[in-house]
Amino acid sequence: MTTTTLYSVSYDLSRALLGAVGSVLPPGARDALTSSNAVTALAVLVFCVILLAASMLNTIVLIWWERKLLGRFMDRRGAMHVGYAGLLQNFADGLKLFRKTTVSPREADGLGFYFGPTAYMVSSLVIFGILPISSGWNAGALPLSLLLALTIFSFAPLFIFVSAWSSNNKYSLMGGLRSAAQMIAYEVPLLLAVVAVVIVSGSFDLTTIVYDQRNYWFWGPLFLALVVFVAAMLAEMERIPFDLPEAEAELVEGWNTEYGGMLFAFFMLADYLRALVGSILVVLLFLGGWTLPSWVPAGLTSFPLAGIVWFMVKTYAVFGLFVWIRASLPRVRTDQLLRVGWNRMIPLALLSVFLAAALVTVRCVPVLGCVPSVGA
Amino acid sequence: MASEFNATEKPDENPVLWVARPMATAARQFAKSLFRPSTIIYPYERLEDPRFRTKVGVGSGMPIGVGPVWDNYRGVHALNIATCISCNLCAFSCPDLCIQMVTVPGGDPKHPKKCPEIDYGKCSYCGFCSDACPEGCLTMTTRYELSTTKRSEMVYSPAKLNEVFRTKLPMNPIRIELPKNEDSILLDPPLCIGCNACARDCPTQCITMLDIPKPEAKPGEKVAKRIWKEPVVNDSDCVRCGTCISVCPKECLFWGGSK
Repeated sequence: MTTTTLYSVSYDLSRALLGAVGSVLPPGARDALTSSNAVTALAVLVFCVILLAASMLNTIVLIWWERKLLGRFMDRRGAMHVGYAGLLQNFADGLKLFRKTTVSPREADGLGFYFGPTAYMVSSLVIFGILPISSGWNAGALPLSLLLALTIFSFAPLFIFVSAWSSNNKYSLMGGLRSAAQMIAYEVPLLLAVVAVVIVSGSFDLTTIVYDQRNYWFWGPLFLALVVFVAAMLAEMERIPFDLPEAEAELVEGWNTEYGGMLFAFFMLADYLRALVGSILVVLLFLGGWTLPSWVPAGLTSFPLAGIVWFMVKTYAVFGLFVWIRASLPRVRTDQLLRVGWNRMIPLALLSVFLAAALVTVRCVPVLGCVPSVGA
Repeated sequence: MASEFNATEKPDENPVLWVARPMATAARQFAKSLFRPSTIIYPYERLEDPRFRTKVGVGSGMPIGVGPVWDNYRGVHALNIATCISCNLCAFSCPDLCIQMVTVPGGDPKHPKKCPEIDYGKCSYCGFCSDACPEGCLTMTTRYELSTTKRSEMVYSPAKLNEVFRTKLPMNPIRIELPKNEDSILLDPPLCIGCNACARDCPTQCITMLDIPKPEAKPGEKVAKRIWKEPVVNDSDCVRCGTCISVCPKECLFWGGSK
């Protein structure tokens, strides 16, 4: 194996670590420590730690990226003082939240109150184990990774509702109800838009979907599905203009009204983790993942870790689109939200499914490009 | 009016425009402020920096940083200790009672020199003190930075105010020339004991003690025990600070009507 993968990196790291520790121990203990089982066990642990650190780091940088972009949209600069161009501001904010006492309301249901944010956070983190970042840079090549990622992604309303209900606060409860209604309404078009991609690619494996885009990215032929997917993803991430569950003008802070300190940080981080997952899914499904078109000069794709670099560039660009939408559009009303979800999004998504089926038959569309034949 | 809230109302234009138009507006703003947003990075950049004088303007078109908008600013005081006469008028005129006269080195031991110490935690920057100052030694500058981490650091000693004066900040040129007090210091002669306290403490040295004739003792009456001198105030030098009135032990000095 000459290609570097995330697992090979963590395996080498764990072997080096165990070898260094084992060299000072008696021979029996050394053999036990450096056996392949122990190395593999530690490698999995190191793998998880790397994944956790990378996803948290990216999440915090994503918050910085949003603040800076939003600042430019509003003719200001965003965070400036802590670190270069405010890069460390969110780390400072996180440390502050980490230090704070966690206060729970007297009437709150303790179990749900603490379980909700934790599970929300953990379920958002788990998705990162499934998403391929570059060729070889994922936890395992699951044949149904797209389905699994979307399944875990849609756990969120349950945890939000648990924490909203156990907060024992009317604003929290209303936010939780809105969140559940919204997420269920937009789950359907989201999945239908994904179905369009799956029809064209013929696989639920994200890695296969990316490789199927090696000639033509899917955003051209499946533009309608992309539009539906992005709109539904905005609602799933509860970002403006679909941030009704935490509409601060009417519901204080929605379902996280009663949360402070580290539990609030969990919600905040998980929101941005989900935003990151949403951007990554758009990149994987429609923008060719870590690949670049063939007309791009080879020098841009051959340097080490080029796949990850281009993947991150695309992800942050897609998130920039989300920020652009946030900066432009006002929040919609509940009735408008649900009307758009059920009356507009679902027909459009169904239309995109039929278009995808037609594309598979036709193979090539003059302007928009070609799609691979199923099973190719 | 009710139709505005009718959710089933037919839109009168293409719904795509509802999304596209605001996004175009936002993109235009983004492009405009991509390299240089309108905000300045305050602690690192300042409006008084000449770079911004031509760029940043207020509604009237008058650039911030020059002209009356800026020069009218009343900030931290500057105190010239050398010309201060310890008249107490600044403390007397202060509506917030934030000025205290404290002893500074340089006076003669018998009559210590007292200069204003200003508590900026209380100061309202009304400028009455600098208007009242007869010598023009307490002025207001355009300095506006007072942030500290301790409340005690908000109290500026005369030495610190003198430092502000010595940094040669632009002074507030608008100083209201108050009409001089039309009243003058009058004396109730029978009460005076000629103690010299008023002349001693007068900051402008405009009180002189003049000898008065000692009256002849009438039969059956004792001559009052006192120094046979009386204060005479030189009105042209007097700054109407009232120090003499406040130090007089017999309360024989008072404000009188115009002459």
